[in-house]
Amino acid sequence: MNKVRVIIAILLSILLLNGCAQRKVIDDINIGTGIGIDKGGNQLLGSVMIPVFKADKSMENFIFTAEGSIMRDVIAQMQQKASQPILNGSLDIALFEDAVAKDGIVQVLDVFLRDPSVGARVHLAVVDGKAQEVFEGNYGDRGNAQYLKELIEHNMKGGNLPVANLHRFLFDFYQEGKDPYLPYIKKESNELVTIIGVALFKNEKVVDILHENNLFYFKLLVDRFTTGQIKVKEDHGEATVKSITSDTKLKLTKRNPYEITFNIHIQGILSEHQGIRLEKGEVKEVEKALEKQINKTCMQLLEEFQKQEVDPVGLGHFVKTKTRNFNFDKWHNDYQNVTFKVSTNVRILEVGVVE
Amino acid sequence: MQQTIPESLKISPFMAAFVIVSMQIGIGVLGYQRLISEDAGYDAWISVIMAGLTVNVLVWLMYKICETVNGDVMAANIYAFGKIIGNSINTLFIFYFIMTCLTVLSGLIEVIRTWMFLGMKPAFFASVYLILGIYIVNGGFRTVVGIALFGLVVPAYLLLSFVAPLRFGDLTNLLPILDHTPVQLVKSAYNMTLTYLGYSVLLFIYPFIKEPKKSKKWVHLGLFSTMAFFTALAVITFAYFPIALLQKSIWATLEMWKIVKLPFIERFEYLGLANWALVILPNVAISLWVASRIVKRVYHINQRKAVFVIAAIVLIVVIMLDSRERINTFHDFQAKAGFVLAYLYTPFLYIVLLIKKKVKAK
Repeated sequence: MNKVRVIIAILLSILLLNGCAQRKVIDDINIGTGIGIDKGGNQLLGSVMIPVFKADKSMENFIFTAEGSIMRDVIAQMQQKASQPILNGSLDIALFEDAVAKDGIVQVLDVFLRDPSVGARVHLAVVDGKAQEVFEGNYGDRGNAQYLKELIEHNMKGGNLPVANLHRFLFDFYQEGKDPYLPYIKKESNELVTIIGVALFKNEKVVDILHENNLFYFKLLVDRFTTGQIKVKEDHGEATVKSITSDTKLKLTKRNPYEITFNIHIQGILSEHQGIRLEKGEVKEVEKALEKQINKTCMQLLEEFQKQEVDPVGLGHFVKTKTRNFNFDKWHNDYQNVTFKVSTNVRILEVGVVE
Repeated sequence: MQQTIPESLKISPFMAAFVIVSMQIGIGVLGYQRLISEDAGYDAWISVIMAGLTVNVLVWLMYKICETVNGDVMAANIYAFGKIIGNSINTLFIFYFIMTCLTVLSGLIEVIRTWMFLGMKPAFFASVYLILGIYIVNGGFRTVVGIALFGLVVPAYLLLSFVAPLRFGDLTNLLPILDHTPVQLVKSAYNMTLTYLGYSVLLFIYPFIKEPKKSKKWVHLGLFSTMAFFTALAVITFAYFPIALLQKSIWATLEMWKIVKLPFIERFEYLGLANWALVILPNVAISLWVASRIVKRVYHINQRKAVFVIAAIVLIVVIMLDSRERINTFHDFQAKAGFVLAYLYTPFLYIVLLIKKKVKAK
């Protein structure tokens, strides 16, 4: 009987001691929800945004900043300033100043990749201006991080912004024959941040900014589904079409030199129309006008990318999937000689509740 | 020659499949994608199928061996090589299964330490886990098999979580198909065979199966389902990671869970990892049982005492395996030993048995 008691005591103590792995109680930590990286001379200027919950259920943001040459060093210095440890398990957003993004952000991203506590859905964005200034604003009543996250998320879901998060960025970066892109945002005022375009990367460096009015076409080219809005000019004035689903198929129609055909199918609804009445057959005209407009702009974009030697569409990867023993070194030259064809098919399914 | 197992201790033919499959799915699943894509790139899913088919052939051979002597491999060894050599070979099997137990346990501890608790003491975790293992083995073989079923069915919901990475993946990564030489495919199939290991427990549980002939179809069905699972997981991983990123990822399966987001849990991999402790449990319990069973058969020591000693050895070695490098070297060694046992020793033993039988018949 005594033996059994001893064994039970040992077992219990082992179990209890095992419970002593480090705990992180939510009241005793700083939850880093946003991280910003700016350039300060030769050094990196990091800022981490922490939500502070007040007794009256309102929220404020506190920002830790530190300077250093590599990211871990910056974070270590921030920890020296914080009374409670800063943890990044629930990081929502990471912002990069455009000057930093022009120098390359992959060595910064290594911190996120190596740290298992950072999720793959963290949103990344390039800022026109300082990232720290964006954090210093006061947006919405759910906290800055939530505001920025939702701003980007709803524009990806229902707007013209192509999907881009940490995973997508790394995917495109490590994929041979494809270049990444990130949303480009700007602080408008102390209460507002706007998406003003997309930053195009070559390897890990920003080389060009795509203006916001080209985003619909850009999303058609790079993303799987497009649910954005686009304005069409036609004889009777202007109209807007909201795309419900879209489908872009690439075809390699010729080799030597390569010719790539884009077949774009869009199904949408007419969401706005200038003019007193929607005439018979006018829907057809809007469809035609939109098709023409998409063909023209997509063509321009593709040729622009070619000139800049960036490949956000992933044409290199696309041609590789169609070619055995594909040679990427040769592709870099071939890319300059690729010709494109874009053919679009727009179907407007509904015109709303009035004619 | 063969001690008979009482009918009440035997398991139904259907359950044999669970023992084999739960032994196959262990710590390797968390990161095999990187190893197989090293040689054959993203054609490696073909190698997964190739390796899976060879496993079926080997298991067929193992059934043949056991049928010839109507008992387990220990009886076969003694029959083929005589008592002294046969028992020395059986002793080697003890070490092999101790190593198997060590591999899964140290692998699990390493993953928990990297992903969840940096400061966790391996000694504490391993001792609790091993006490659980001893407890299961003390319950007898039928309890061990029950845990095998439990360890597969309960965490099966994790399969659903692999749908999420598909949404962020790009299946064209796999194109063009067959862009690698047959030699590269075979090399990667060799790497894959290491992940499939574990089916050799069949050689030891054979006498415990009621109507072993009936169990054949279940076991092969089980092997096919592991093959389907490994192939599907490889395809999803290849779609989710570009190859340069996959080559950096030690635990690709865990990293894919980073993209899963549920309303009630921000980071799914913590849930997945905690459940993985349950997937590993049958691995530890079965290998402890097999190792102690061999000790009992060869040295006539009480199995309950043997399992204590074996668990103690495992505990001591687990504490020594404390860095990525050491664990890696150990896992490589264990995998190679497993490969030799399965792919070289099994056919060899079968041939020797055939010759011996012919000679004796004369």
